[in-house]
Amino acid sequence: MASSASGVGPRPIGERLRSGLLTTLLLLPAGIWYLVLLVAPLVIIIVFSFGTRAKNGGYAPAFVFDNYVRAFQKPEPFITSLQMATIGTILCLLVGLPLAYYLATRAGRYRGVLILLLVIPFWTSFLIRTYAWLLILGPDAGLAGFLESVTGAEQVQILGTPIAVMIGLVYNYLPLMVFPLYVTLERMDRTLVEASKDLGAGRWGTFRQVTLPIALPGLVTGSILVFIPMMGEYVIPQILGYGRTYLMGNALVTDFLEARNWPSGSARAVFLIVIMIVTLAGYVWFVNRGRKTREVSVL
Amino acid sequence: MSEDLETTLRRMTETKVNRRGFLYAAGLTGAAAAIAACSTGGGSSPAASTPASAAPATSDVPSSAPSAAAADSFPPAGEIEKELFMYNWSEYISLANIEAFKAKYGVTKFQYDIYDSNDVLLAKLQGGATGYDIAAPTAEYVPGMVEQGFVQKLDKSRLPNLANIDPKFKGLWWDPNDDYQIPKDFGTTGVLYRTTMIPTVPKSWKDFLELIKGPASGKTVFVDSMGDVFVFPLKMLGFSANSVDKAELDQARTVLLDVAPHLLALDSNKYGEKMANGEAALSLGWTGVLTQDMADTPDKGYVVPSEGSIFWLDTWVLLADAPHPNAAYAFLDFIHTPEIQAEETNYNNYGTPNDKAKPLVDPKVLADPAVFPPDEVFALLEGSKDTSANTQRTDIWEEFKQKLGG
Amino acid sequence: MTAPAVARAAGRGARRPAARQRVDRWAGVVEGYFRLHAALTYAFLFLPIIVVVVLAFNATTKATTVWGGFSLRWFQIALADEVVRDALTNSFWIAIPNAFMATAFGTMAALGLQRVGRRIRLGFDVLTYMSIIVPEIVIALATLILFATSFDAIQSWFGLKLKFGRETIIAAHVLFNTSLVLLLVRARLSGMDRTLVDASADLFATPWRTFRQITWPQLLPAVIAGFLLSFTFSFDDFVITTFVSGPGSSTLPLFIFGQVKRGVTPETNAVATMMLAFTLAMLFVGQLFLGWQARRSGRRAGISIGEMVTDA
Repeated sequence: MASSASGVGPRPIGERLRSGLLTTLLLLPAGIWYLVLLVAPLVIIIVFSFGTRAKNGGYAPAFVFDNYVRAFQKPEPFITSLQMATIGTILCLLVGLPLAYYLATRAGRYRGVLILLLVIPFWTSFLIRTYAWLLILGPDAGLAGFLESVTGAEQVQILGTPIAVMIGLVYNYLPLMVFPLYVTLERMDRTLVEASKDLGAGRWGTFRQVTLPIALPGLVTGSILVFIPMMGEYVIPQILGYGRTYLMGNALVTDFLEARNWPSGSARAVFLIVIMIVTLAGYVWFVNRGRKTREVSVL
Repeated sequence: MSEDLETTLRRMTETKVNRRGFLYAAGLTGAAAAIAACSTGGGSSPAASTPASAAPATSDVPSSAPSAAAADSFPPAGEIEKELFMYNWSEYISLANIEAFKAKYGVTKFQYDIYDSNDVLLAKLQGGATGYDIAAPTAEYVPGMVEQGFVQKLDKSRLPNLANIDPKFKGLWWDPNDDYQIPKDFGTTGVLYRTTMIPTVPKSWKDFLELIKGPASGKTVFVDSMGDVFVFPLKMLGFSANSVDKAELDQARTVLLDVAPHLLALDSNKYGEKMANGEAALSLGWTGVLTQDMADTPDKGYVVPSEGSIFWLDTWVLLADAPHPNAAYAFLDFIHTPEIQAEETNYNNYGTPNDKAKPLVDPKVLADPAVFPPDEVFALLEGSKDTSANTQRTDIWEEFKQKLGG
Repeated sequence: MTAPAVARAAGRGARRPAARQRVDRWAGVVEGYFRLHAALTYAFLFLPIIVVVVLAFNATTKATTVWGGFSLRWFQIALADEVVRDALTNSFWIAIPNAFMATAFGTMAALGLQRVGRRIRLGFDVLTYMSIIVPEIVIALATLILFATSFDAIQSWFGLKLKFGRETIIAAHVLFNTSLVLLLVRARLSGMDRTLVDASADLFATPWRTFRQITWPQLLPAVIAGFLLSFTFSFDDFVITTFVSGPGSSTLPLFIFGQVKRGVTPETNAVATMMLAFTLAMLFVGQLFLGWQARRSGRRAGISIGEMVTDA
């Protein structure tokens, strides 16, 4: 947002200082928050990761690599989380994209109300929502019971299976996928779509060459906002999956709470964070490659 | 001259955010590293690891008397404060008793905050959380809490009702002089079952194992608690439930990995419900659900297996920096008044360690062997220990959890 | 000078071939599919909510899940329960300031990042992603330690005794939510129509005017979305809140999770139902109010909350 778009020569110093000041002011609050409440705690975690468990649990100062060795030797929870998060994100996309598209382009006057209705279920507590799913999918009054009576099978078990977990995941993370997609699709110029179709591109071609590129920033943001928290998710699998999967979140709870071995937990957390950052960078690079204008900047 | 200035200013403007940001970040990172190094996040003694200026007040006992500094001084009796901050499990004190306490001592605000596991309580205390008067940890965690200075030594002269407590709960390993905790209630870990869903009633851990691998396969739930689950293989093999011996734990590991694929769920909160609605026929768990989720289940049963098991004891402790010590003492004494304790038992359905209260308890509850195990059963029970430091146990536990998927 | 006019002036409007009658066989099917998909999704979203509401009327005295008849007792119990009232009050007084702060910080940062070089933007991006990547339990514990040690230090240097409570919870929540808003607004900003902005500047509008009349209205959907999500996250958060809360600052999730050990009673369902009813009522009232106001000021009626949320 330059003040003189048709710049004639370098801007005067006064204006540049003011502009710099404005930039600083804009970035300051978030910057302070990041430094104090993110960087500082992270440094604490990194320092912990090289320590040892104190006698009664917690952290004792030390400088050893044992915790990282242990983290590398036990990659299973990470892999399980990876599988779950990938499938969950794809499912969220499949459910969320058409909905976002509908809200952005077809819903007309009711858009706002429908968007609010999207979040209102989440103002009831997460736990009672998930417990409601126990009833819906369970025996007796739930889906499993219904299927049992209909098919005559002795026991239909939906709860405790990956299906139940996926239902729970998609349910709880859907808004995080829909909102970014919506805000991106909403400013799409409909005339472009129509022009493209008029020019003979066909529905699928239009989608691929007009809609998708415009939706891309939202798609990337949405999948990141869903995938990353899903990597740390463990409560939904615990309740709807009957605790039968062992995920990164469970591993961290075991380390930090059950064993009270903060150094080990910290090392596993750092391990997770580093891999995630690298994965993200790779994802973003992949999305941005071959794009002339960096549409999506680092996103 | 002015052009140099302008160039300088321009360069300053361009790098302004960069440099300032860097200095800020460097300074803050340095401070954060210092904080991390100073933090007594663990059990290291306060004197050794904290510099004087940033010492968390763990060894100082805050009290109304300014001269109190040593960990052994007792807060002098004084006027009872108008507030009490309780940190406890959910709904673990009878509401009637809370009201009675408030009325008797003129306390107007009884703040009741909740944690849902000992682990969370400990993590918070170790992380530095403060502000509460009383907490209710399970006994095996008390020695660690004492060592780390989270708990005050009790002035027993202010707690006459302690005389009511059954001697078999006194002088135990976790608090040999009963200086730091007051027993609250106790329970056992055992096997829950539904007689109509299994062919034979289990009487031992061995029976339990047979059932899990046989008729109750896919219908068994364990509570999600490392210490309790290990009781099963260790006691079955004849070892101590608190064993940290490598060979013994290896054998326990074999048993656990053997049963893992047969389990329906690992769940501390909903296992009662699963038993009640027929999804599960067998559980390794505690007695609480018998009177809650399974209250209307006609064929329920509970047994402490013949090879033995553990009993747990929940305790009251006075936290080190309690802001309302006088009200806290009043409460700790009040809660062991016989009538009040009897009300607690009727409310909680957990065994009371208070002998004088037992005659006043609801006879149905008193007669329930799950709540008040007879003496011969009690003889089979070990007190549980905090074995969370043992890495082998944690590794086995993780392996076990990973095998649950089948 | 409205946006569409500028768009046309800047030559962005598509050329429409005259009178082309294309029979789009699939138009109806596609339209129907989108409608069906949306309807099913909303049904999916509200199915558990319906269960929750129905169970609030459960007359049982013990387990929530066994139907014992119709009753209003849990509503009475919930209304009389001081603990629940405190928890609910705390939840609101934490979630709302948090939403305002996070939305402000995040939007400002998104705008600021447009103006800086690649390297600073990269640095900020890394931080933003870190705040989302770090697992909750890790940041919760580390933040607790940071606060505890800082409070001790501040107390010994300045004698000022800071406590854990609502403020610490808000501070901790704002971190994640700022990143959320930041990402949403940036997704909106990227690829935003710069020609409008340039045109506005060419037409001698001041930067502030350009911002107010061109940029801000276009950002508004993202800002509001960010606000809603920030409120929701804070309101429903459990892990971070557990660790950085203090006496008296328990929130509704803390209360509910704590109840799990004893068995969740329909009381929580009653609370949830009342909140739902309240929210829907506010929505309805808000809609009525806007319609009334529009009629009064003579503008075209039919401005709905919908339009407020979406376009300007």
